[in-house]
Formats: sequence, C-alpha cells, structure tokens
Amino acid sequence: MPPARAPPKRATAAAAGSSSSSAPAPRTRAVKAGPSGGPDVKPRIGTSSAAKGKAPLRPSITVSTTDKKPEINKGEEEWAELMRQTYGSQKGADWYAKGVKSVEDKWELLPAFLKVKGLVKQHLDSFNYFVNVDIKAILAANSHVISDINPYYYIRYLDIRVGQPARHDTNQVANVLTPMECRLTDSTYSAPIFVDIEYQGEEKKNRQRGVQIGMLPVMLRSDLCHLKNKNEQELARMGECPMDPGGYFVVKGTEKVILVQEQLSKNRIIVMRDPKKDETTAEVTSSTHDRVVKTYVTTKNKRLYLRHNSFKEYIPIVIALKAMGITSDKEILQLICGSDERYQEAFGVSLEEAAKEKTFTRRQALEWIGARVSPNQAKDDGGSYGQKLTPVDIAQQALAAMVLGHVPVRNMNFRPKCIYLATMSRRVLMAMIDEHMVDDRDYVGNKRLELAGQLLSLLFEDSFKTFNSELKRRMDKILEKKQRAGPFDAGSLIRQGGDPITSAFVRSISTGNWSLKRFHVERAGVTHVLSRLSFIAALGMMTRISSQFEKTRKVSGPRALQPSQWGMLCPSDTPEGEACGLVKNLALMTHITTDVPEEPLLKIAFLLGVEDISLLTGNELYRPGVHLVQVNGTLIGVTHLAKKFVRTFRKLRRAGRTSEFVSIYINHHQRTIYIASDGGRICRPMIIVENGKSRVTSQHMKLLKEGKVTFDHFLRSGLVEYLDVNEENDSFIACYESEIVKETTHLEIEPFTILGAVAGLIPYPHHNQSPRNTYQCAMGKQAIGAIAYNQLNRIDTLLYLMTYPQQPMVKTKTIELVGYNKLPAGQNATVAVMSYSGYDIEDALILNRASVDRGFGRCHVLKKQTIPMRTFANGSHERTAYPDPLPRPDAYAFIDRADGMTAPGATINQFDVMIHRETPIDTRGPSADGGGYKPSPITHKLPEPIQIDKVMITEGEDGSLIKILTRQTRRPELGDKFSSRHGQKGVCGLIVPQADMPFNDQGIVPDIIMNPHGFPSRMTVGKMIELLSGKAGVLAGKLQYGTAFGGSKVVDMSQILIENGFSYAGKDMLTSGITGQPMEAYVYFGPIYYQKLKHMVMDKMHARPTGPRANLTRQPTEGRSKDGGLRLGEMERDCLIGYGATQLLLERLMVSSDAFETQVCETCGMLGYNNWCPKCKSGKGVIGLTIPYAAKLLIQELMGMNIMPKLCMEDTV
Amino acid sequence: MSQQADRYSQQNPNPMPARNIPKPPETIEYICGDCGAKTAMKTSELIRCRECGHRVMYKPRTTRIVSLHRAAMD
Repeated sequence: MPPARAPPKRATAAAAGSSSSSAPAPRTRAVKAGPSGGPDVKPRIGTSSAAKGKAPLRPSITVSTTDKKPEINKGEEEWAELMRQTYGSQKGADWYAKGVKSVEDKWELLPAFLKVKGLVKQHLDSFNYFVNVDIKAILAANSHVISDINPYYYIRYLDIRVGQPARHDTNQVANVLTPMECRLTDSTYSAPIFVDIEYQGEEKKNRQRGVQIGMLPVMLRSDLCHLKNKNEQELARMGECPMDPGGYFVVKGTEKVILVQEQLSKNRIIVMRDPKKDETTAEVTSSTHDRVVKTYVTTKNKRLYLRHNSFKEYIPIVIALKAMGITSDKEILQLICGSDERYQEAFGVSLEEAAKEKTFTRRQALEWIGARVSPNQAKDDGGSYGQKLTPVDIAQQALAAMVLGHVPVRNMNFRPKCIYLATMSRRVLMAMIDEHMVDDRDYVGNKRLELAGQLLSLLFEDSFKTFNSELKRRMDKILEKKQRAGPFDAGSLIRQGGDPITSAFVRSISTGNWSLKRFHVERAGVTHVLSRLSFIAALGMMTRISSQFEKTRKVSGPRALQPSQWGMLCPSDTPEGEACGLVKNLALMTHITTDVPEEPLLKIAFLLGVEDISLLTGNELYRPGVHLVQVNGTLIGVTHLAKKFVRTFRKLRRAGRTSEFVSIYINHHQRTIYIASDGGRICRPMIIVENGKSRVTSQHMKLLKEGKVTFDHFLRSGLVEYLDVNEENDSFIACYESEIVKETTHLEIEPFTILGAVAGLIPYPHHNQSPRNTYQCAMGKQAIGAIAYNQLNRIDTLLYLMTYPQQPMVKTKTIELVGYNKLPAGQNATVAVMSYSGYDIEDALILNRASVDRGFGRCHVLKKQTIPMRTFANGSHERTAYPDPLPRPDAYAFIDRADGMTAPGATINQFDVMIHRETPIDTRGPSADGGGYKPSPITHKLPEPIQIDKVMITEGEDGSLIKILTRQTRRPELGDKFSSRHGQKGVCGLIVPQADMPFNDQGIVPDIIMNPHGFPSRMTVGKMIELLSGKAGVLAGKLQYGTAFGGSKVVDMSQILIENGFSYAGKDMLTSGITGQPMEAYVYFGPIYYQKLKHMVMDKMHARPTGPRANLTRQPTEGRSKDGGLRLGEMERDCLIGYGATQLLLERLMVSSDAFETQVCETCGMLGYNNWCPKCKSGKGVIGLTIPYAAKLLIQELMGMNIMPKLCMEDTV
Repeated sequence: MSQQADRYSQQNPNPMPARNIPKPPETIEYICGDCGAKTAMKTSELIRCRECGHRVMYKPRTTRIVSLHRAAMD
C-alpha cells in the first residue's frame, strides 16, 4: 500500500450517513433474449454468472437488507472528529506516526463483530436474502400464466411478499404465533406468502391484492420472525431463550437445521492434471437456471479437445471454435496463445488436426459437430418443434445452450463464448507446459458454501412452477366450457386446489430430501434435527458445514487441513471416523457472502480504465504488462495498470462505493485480476494496515468500548474490511501488531478466532496435542448441562439437564462471547492427580461419595411421550377414559377419574399406566358412537420408576394431542462417563466415602481422583495449566482466562499460589484417609472443570436369562429396547473353535438360541415331518434330529429357489 | 381411587385420624400455558383457554399422596 493519500473526506461522508450497503445503483437489469430458438439459458439462483437470468427486479426493491445502518448517534460526532484527525489533510500521516504504540484492546472488535454478525448470521442473511430479494426475482421470472385455450385470459403476478407467522384462526385477538407454541403443538412455524395479481376479467382487467399462495416455514430470528429485535423480557414472555442463536426452522414441532453445504465453485475454470495418463483438463460446471452441465477442455495426444455430454466424441477445440464463428486460424491462435511461442508451438498440433478433418469454414465445422451430437441431445432439441432440424441447426443449438451454458449467447453472438473457451484452452496449455499451473480443488477459495436461503429458493422456484402449471390447467378447464356459471375469477382459482407450495416446503424440510426433478437436484440428508443435548451442541450445529464428497472415497485431499482455511474454518472441530475432515465448522469470525449484483462492479471496472473485451483481438489480450479482468468468472476486459486498478478498486470498496463483500485480487501466474461478488464465499474481517501502522488505534477502541460506535463504523470508515480466501492470498497479514513491517497490508483482529465456537471452550488449547482438542470438540457436544433459559418449559423427546451446573473457573474469551458461562455444562471439581486403589486404571476416575451426595454430577433426564388422539375415516376417534372395573388397580393408582390421565407429581413404576386411552373397535363402519371401545393404554416400560413432570394437552394440526414429560433424577454411579475439557474422558471406577479420601492440611478433600497415567501419552499440558490457573483463581477469588494463544500466564498463577501459601507448582502435601499417614509424594491438586457426558450406565445396563425371540429366525431379539440377548459373535465363535470347546459352541449357537426338533429322511436327505418323507412317500428312513431353526429356514428357502439341499446323516461317535 | 384409599387405611390401622384426601373433582381444571388461568374441560371438548384462547393446556399437580412405601415395596 502506498503512503497515506489522505482520501478526501471519506470519513465525513460516512458519518453523514451514506451507508455502504445502499450505495449501489438501481438494480435494473436488461432482459436478455435467449438464443433464438434455443432454450432460455438462465443462471440458477445462488450462482454467479455474467447473465443473471432472473427477470429484472424493479428498482423499488431495496437490494441489501443484510446490513442496517447502525442506529447509535451519540458517538457519531466524536467518531467524525476522530476520523477528521485521522484523515485530515495537514496532520495526516504525522498524526498516525505518533499514534499509540499498540492497540491492546483490538480484540474488543470481536464482540462488536458478533453483535452485528452473530454466529448464525450467515443463515439469517441467506434466508433474509431469499425472502426479500430472491423470491421477488423468481416471481418476476414466472409472472405470467396465460391460458392455452383462450390466450385472452391471463393471470399476471405483480408482487410477492411474505407475512409474519400467525395462527390459522383469524378471529383471535392476539394472533402472533410463537415458535414455542409450534414446538409444543407439533405445528410448523410458517408465514403466509401473498401475491398481488392482475388478471383479465370478462371485460376489464382486474387486480387483487394479498392472495395467499402458500405458507413458508420461517427461520427463527430472521426478518420475518417475531423474535427479531426483541429484548430479553419480550423473549421470555414468548417462552424463548435469549441465548438461543436461531437460524433453524420449526417444522411439525421439531427443530430442523439446514446445514451449510460445501461445493466446488460453479462457473469457474478448474484445471486438473492426471500425470498417469498425461492428461490436462480444464473443467467448468456451468450452473444455469434450468440445468447444470459440465464442460471440459482436455488433452489427448497433446491435442486439445472439447468434451461435453452433448457430443458423442471429443470435439477438436479448433473445430469447436470454428463452429462458433472464429474461422481464421490466426485469430484462434492469437486468442489462445497470444504471442508466446511456447504456447503456439504446443497448440500447433491442434490446429493441424482441424485441417486434417477438412473443416475450414463455419458451416463445415457445424456439420462436423452436428454429425456427432449425441442422439438424446438431438432429440431434446428437435422434439419440441416437431420438425426435423438439420445437423447444422442441431450443432448450433448444442453449442449455444449446452456447452458452457452460463456464458450467454445473445442473438447468436458467440463471441463471449469463444473467448471463454479460448481462455479454458489457454489454461490447459499453461498447465501442459508448466505443471504447477493446475488448480487445487481443495483450496478454500475454490469452494462455495450453499446456505438455507439458496436451497429454499430452489425449492420455491420448483413448487411455484408446479403451482402455476396446475393453476393454468384449472384455468383451461374453466375456459373450455362454453357456458360459464360466473365471471372468470382468478383469485378464487388460486385458492382452489391443493397447497403444493406449503407441502413442498414442509415435506422437504422435515425429511431432508431435496428432490427437484426440474433442476435435476436429488439430495438427501440436507436437514438435520437440531441437537439439544447441550447448548454447545446446538450452537455447534449452526456452524457446521457438510461436504458433498462421498464418504467412502479413500482420498485424503478433501479431508486434510488446508492452509487456506486459516481463520475461516476451525482446525480442531471435525468428527472422528468416516466423516473426518469432510464435516467442518466455521471459525468464530467468519461470514458467508450473499449475492451482490455485478452490474455496478462492471461499471466501476470500466470507469477505472478496463478495456472492453469485445473490442479487443487475441493479440492484445496477452501482451506483456496486460492483465485480464474477470468478474465472477467471466472475462470482461483488460487493463494495463493492474496494480493501480486493484488499489483504486479496493479504495472504492473501503469508501463504501461497492458492497464490502466484493473481493478483488490479482493472480500473477495467470496475469488476471479476479473480481468476485457471488454468494457463498467465506470471508472474515481484518484490520487495515497502511504505512506499517494499524489504522485502528486505541482512540477508536475507546469509543467502541464506551459503546458509542459499532463495528459498522469501523467498516464504513475503512478501518476494517472483509477479505475472502482469495483476497487473503493476495494480502500480507500480520498476526500481531509487533510483526507489522513495511509491506504489511492487514492485521489480524485476534488470533484465537481461528478456532470455532466449540473449540473455543477449551482452556489453553495451544498447550494441547492437537487430536485432544478434536476429541474435546466431539465430547463438548455430549456434555450434560443447562440447555436454554426455557429448558424447563420445553417438552423434548429427550433432554438431559444438570442439576447444579457451574461456570468454569478457567474460562476463555470465546466462552464469554457465546454465552457458555451463562448456560454451562459441567462443574469445577477439585482433582487430585494420584493413584488410588486399583479402580482407577484405564482412565477410570475415583469419586468422593460426599461430593456425589452434595450434588456433584447429578442430572435430570426428561423424556417425552407423545400420544396423538387419532381420528378415523368414519368420524370416530380415540379417547381417554377411566376404565370400570379397573383391570389392574395398582397400575392405575395415579389415573384421575375425570380424564383417565396421570397428573404431574405422580411416581410411575414399571408397567404402570400413564394414559388410559381407548380406541374405537369399529373404525370403518358407517357411524362412530354405536361401536364400543377397546383399551389401548400407554404404560411405562423401563424398569426404573419415573416421575411425571408435565401433562400437556393441546389441539394439534390434526386432532388433539397429549404430551407427557417424565423426569428422573440421577446421581453419578459406577460406570457413568465424565470428561475434562481436554479430550480426557473416563468412567467412574469407584465411589469412595469421604473419610477414605486423601486430604490436605486445610482439610480439603478432592471430588475426583485422577490417575496420573493419563498425562504422559496424551500430552494435555493445557489440563495441567487449567488446574494451576483454577487453583490460583480459587485462591484469588476470581475467574482466570485460558484463552487460546493467550490467557493467564503460568508465572502469574504460580505467584498467586505462593502469595497464598501454596507451592508454586500446584502440588500439595496430602494425608491418606485410609492410613492417616502423609503421602510419600506431593500431589498435583486443584480444580479442573469436569463435564458429565450423556452416556450413563442406567441407559445401557442390560442382561436377560431367556426372553423374546424374533419371529422369523426364532433367535433371541437384538438390543436392549427389545429385551434382546447378548450376541456371541463371529470372533467369539472363532475363539471357541480355536480352543476346541465344541460342546460350549453347540450350546451357545444352537441349544440356547434356536434349537429346532425336526425330521430328516435318511434315504433322500430331505426334511420330513410326522415320521413321513414327502419325497419318498414313506416313513421308512425318517429320523429325528435337532438343528438350528435358521438352518431349517435356509434349507426351505433354497428349496423355494429350486435348489435341493440334502442332509446326509452319519453316526455320531 | 377408592381402592387405594382402602388399602391405605388397612395398612395403617393406627389411632391417627384418617387423612382427608381431597377427592378429585369430576372435571379437572387445566392450566393455560399462556395466561395461567384455569379452565375446566371435559375430554371431549375443544382444548382452549377460556380467558385467552391459547391452545396449550397443562394438567395441574396431583393431589394424591405419593407413597414412598409403594416404590420401596415394588
């Protein structure tokens, strides 16, 4: 960056209120004509391309609602004054130089950032973009419904908007539908979609406003949601937790998250090389409105070919270019190679090949291609017109619409597509000559993240088209009739018919299957149920990114940690096992962009001196010193002053003339400037550095800390900017202020933000071995604790709550930022690191009985039972009742006579009845009430007694609904699982009376004794430091910090310990509780935060003598829930075989499992029965024997397939 | 209900006066999940708070004595 140029009064302009987001010019777009005769090529939503195919948005639509201007005014003047000082003409750089040495509190920008962006902001932004912008574009693109029967009649959509969630019955006063009500009543939190329509009546045009076409599930805390901008009291009134991040949906009562999907970026050239085959390929996935196609330029025998599904064979690149109108060999050579002789030489063979094929003119080339268009493609194109197309037409069709579909062909002007194809060829040539010129598919800059809004808009577009075609059919049906009963009324027509839009949304979100035939989208597992195991689990789910790669592939590339994911994706938080490295998590300070219109960018680029590509010949493109300029993957022109162009562009962005999420960077290898404004890029904010000085100074931070300014002030004043991965690569970023040198362009806001929200809970993670942090990320999500402020009002299928949760003694900045200290999951246990008895081997922990009695590790388990009262076809429905006489009086002890249900407070034992439900016997007959009822009571099945916590009755979407919440309080027992925050899990091995525990001179007794063997191999030094800091914190009476790459220092902690009369090393002298003698060694002793994990013995303990058997095989059932047997598996069988224990094998595998007495005919070897062989028609050789039932089944199944197995008998010795 | 009461008195033939367990009424007053008002409802009726129209209703706490003996005996 050059010396400070004192940009003219940028700051004052910003302070005067020109918000960055609303700056871009009106968004009118030109409607482009499709290729004549060919299908209209439109980009699909969420993808970027030169041709935004959606119909023009009316200028009235505000573009960006994502960033509101900050509404704080009191700091405005002070800020403006500060800006004047910073940028003022006479002081300028001087003032900078004397600026405060270091900005110590620059991390305060992080909470400021989280205030405006939040951890789930990407979900909300994406959804808001869909509701505010995208949905209107989709409507505009599909706005006409014209009758085929009588084109005079039509329906035209004028506008669309989405209301707020409301109850269905409109006669209510308080009509606000809250998310909590939806969760409780198993309904969907959705808002009506209204359209304004204009239609042709009998005589005049009619207009109708606010016609409802369906319901859209609403993302919690989005613009449409009632929870938006509510304070804590209001949220509490609505039964909502203020700490809840939102960003999910409530569909049929379950909370559903649409995970972020990671994809390779669309419409960008990716060059790959296969060294084995000596092939180089450039690949482009053209994602357009109606299709996703891949186009390749690949090499074969050093020649370049175009490969595409539409063609049966490889098309030589020169023939393809000639077919698209560039007939001169020289022009082709210039477009691809420029004047570089190495490239020209490499390309020569490809030119020759075209000549060999005798294609010189455009027509010849088209004929050549036309003969090779794949039959399906030809049929697709020709079919709709019912006339046979010539090969030339077919070829032209395919080239215009299918090949590189995202590059528009307007009025058969193939020039842009030619240049694009030439660029691809050039990239292949470059990679052929220098194999370092290939692209890395795993580079985060080549990835795009797809969010809820994009998936929903896809779904909406599909269902809206279905809706329109159904509407048209209904319209035609009415107009068909000669005599119509009434005038043509479009409004009522819309209301008729099913509800395809609503049901599509509900179905897709609740099943997670995105099956859109129209767009060839077939995806399963898009949505997941929001995990409410702990607060952190829910939060971690909102930042999760799932990859599209299949899990079975044995490649390490996509799974490996990429250097480019620094600061964008958390390096620690990924699951172990098959999804390792494929499921990622966002780091703390990331933001995912939404689409930004590119027309203003083009305008700016041309204003800054870019020469239009269509005015240039190939010769001018690749001259030395010339840089190409690409906007969202499309070549728009060249510039001779690349650095100056980029610099000026960035200045404009910092001044708020473009969206802050537009990125620009130079690729020096390709000599190209890339400008990106598409959605789905990951970016993060960084402090701008100029002249070796951070632009953010302590003065700015002071204003921020006083709450006078917000993060947006920093952003629009050009102190902080967003960088995406590509631009990061073009910057020189200092991690700490002390590392700033002359060339530095940016400064990290805070290094610990490279970790995500879940990994941020670990104290001193920088002292741990890396996999330990990964283990903790998985375990933190299983920890039992507080879930939300409304946890006791929720009725979830399964809820674990800790009775007495504590916030950790050693916390981190992240903990404070995400609110883990307010909804903690664990307790500060005093730990003695020593050996005790033999019950602590293999990571087992010794618990203090007195601590357990006082409530250490105590938790509640809340379970839900939903009992819907079904209604049957004949109008009869299930009911609750009090049976008379009582079948089992004991089991009905807590059933009320009035309603046949238990009430809260009751204790229910095994097989006791909770609800006495009765089902009508006759559910099909004509009328209901005559028939009787048969009891179908709901009983408690598990052996442990439970308490009834809540009995809720409500009116659901279909019939009345009863929900029972049961509760159990559990104290820790042998085998329950605990873990510290360092991936050190262990089970409780022994609970020892307090008297037998060791104690120090102050009489302090540990809650937990941990075996020291857990440390050497795990190398979790962070845990040791946590103990030290925790101990110092306890003694000093304050909480200590264990923030990553920082936190309380060990020396300071030791000092505190010394001041309080403890050993600086954290070791204490303990006395054995058993012998009463002092221990021989000092023991590392202090508090460590321990989490109780959800795996508890009570849920797993299982044994059975005999019990139920599976029907088909007559073998014991499987699983605890079915009271199943314990399997003697293959490997155990192998052991017994190896040992030679035949009788034991026989007993285990047959006698105690599925022994079956049957008969076999010795003469023919077939199964017989009743001393009779059906084949021999005699009972002569029939003998009895015992075989496993499964064997008998196999024999019969083989016989069913016309295979005759024979049993040959032999005398046993 | 009566059976349990019988059982209770049989098991405790002590001089203490019989605890007067309030007999549960024939209709139960459910508590509204929104405003907290009580509404008496029969099972066949539409579930709705009489005061505010809210449709989530909770059953009030049981009046029965939870006998620890019983749990121990089982």
